[in-house]
Amino acid sequence: MASVKLQCVSKWFARRDGDSLHVLQNVDLNVPEKSITAIVGASGSGKSTLLNIIAGLVQPDRGCVFLNGVKASDFKDWGSMTYMFQEDRLLPWRTAARNVAFGLEAQGVKRAERKERVAETLALVGLDQFADSYPHELSGGMRSRVALARSLVTRPTMMLMDEPFSKLDPTIRSQMHTEVLRIAELMSMTIVFVTHDVEEAVVLAKQIVVLNPRPGRVRETRTVDLSYPRDPAAPEVHEQARSLRASL
Amino acid sequence: MPIRHTARERRFRVLVLRVALLAVLLAIWQIASLGAPAFVLPGPARVYSAWSSLVATDSFWTDFGITFWRVFMGFVIATVVGVPLGLVLGASEKLGEFFEPVLSVINTVSSSIWAIFALIWFGLSDWTTIFVVFMTAMPLILTNVWQGTRTVNADFVELAQTFRMSRAQVLTKIYLPTILPPFFSAARLAFGFGARVSLVAETLGASSGIGYRLRQAADLVQTDQVFAWTLTLVALMIALEALVLKPLEQRLFAWKKRPGAQ
Repeated sequence: MASVKLQCVSKWFARRDGDSLHVLQNVDLNVPEKSITAIVGASGSGKSTLLNIIAGLVQPDRGCVFLNGVKASDFKDWGSMTYMFQEDRLLPWRTAARNVAFGLEAQGVKRAERKERVAETLALVGLDQFADSYPHELSGGMRSRVALARSLVTRPTMMLMDEPFSKLDPTIRSQMHTEVLRIAELMSMTIVFVTHDVEEAVVLAKQIVVLNPRPGRVRETRTVDLSYPRDPAAPEVHEQARSLRASL
Repeated sequence: MPIRHTARERRFRVLVLRVALLAVLLAIWQIASLGAPAFVLPGPARVYSAWSSLVATDSFWTDFGITFWRVFMGFVIATVVGVPLGLVLGASEKLGEFFEPVLSVINTVSSSIWAIFALIWFGLSDWTTIFVVFMTAMPLILTNVWQGTRTVNADFVELAQTFRMSRAQVLTKIYLPTILPPFFSAARLAFGFGARVSLVAETLGASSGIGYRLRQAADLVQTDQVFAWTLTLVALMIALEALVLKPLEQRLFAWKKRPGAQ
């Protein structure tokens, strides 16, 4: 079980000049379990802050966050949640396998089990042949797969992604989308991701939350009722993307 | 495999070049020594015979051991003091700002001046040399570790936080690997400097060790002995570099992208 509920969340950031910046205003969000939700919006709409609030990295000034129905302040099972950054953030001094193992080290998993799970996860993303390669020896797409494996090795039920794969070129990016959908299905994960790319939102998400900027607030929540896999070139995907872009 | 073949060829080429250079230097030395008296510039053959009789004595290895023990002690204390101090100064911006001038002052004071202070404070003892090595090596190690903490990638620290890592884990898994390369280059430099200044310290304030023997030989105008000691030292430092430091560096930093590769 992995669901997220935000009620009336507001956030201000202190600025250097002493003023405060209103980043989020009364945001309500409901992410049912095993669903994929995209958060889209122009820059300054507080997309990433919203994601960081769900991840517990930023505390909201007002409102409530519920994870699996439990208040975030009482939530214990942070290990079931994983976070993927825009960049791969692989540690250059570790091999692919040791980078994946990084995800398990905080959880105190024993060495033998760690090894087994790392091998299993690398195989899941199709990189079992590259376990001993250093990040600089891998291509951009492979590095993204290692980062994905690092996020998956903890067997999360909830994955948060901040503009994932946005630095990759379109072909590899679309491969990563297929990969994420396959694994989300396989592991029955709930996914919340932030993007500024409407095509990405339409291809991946079941629910799309559109934010208005300054301060960030929910303009609309729409459902994408298309079956998976979704072909980015298909006319119905195009239609959805165009209508979404028009509302931004 | 063709790649391996060229690598071996290149290594062979380097070896030939080194041997040729050695031969040229020896020839120049030999020719120059013919035109000068032996107490000014002894020839290679004379130095070699001085060296072989020197090596045969017990005191040669004792002096050697004493000098290296002093350098090593000074270096170890410099590391034990310099690394934590560098980490602390790196962790606190205020402390760093406050202490920065102290480092500049220490760096501008010459090693010979430290040797004189050490002589006043410690007299003719091991601590004179150890202190001078320490004062030379410690600021180098401290500065590099301090600078190293500034290169810690905030993105990696944030990554560790999303995995709910403890502060101790962030320190050992993110900070230490980042600081290791600058620490290693500092340690290498510090050890080399330390070995050199230890001789200055020993000529002034010791009654044993290589520096002391060098001064003794110079006082007695045994120039061939001075040469023999010097060449031994040079050979030793080169061997240390090639057999210990370089392989160690290659092993520790195998993850680094080499300019020649790919």
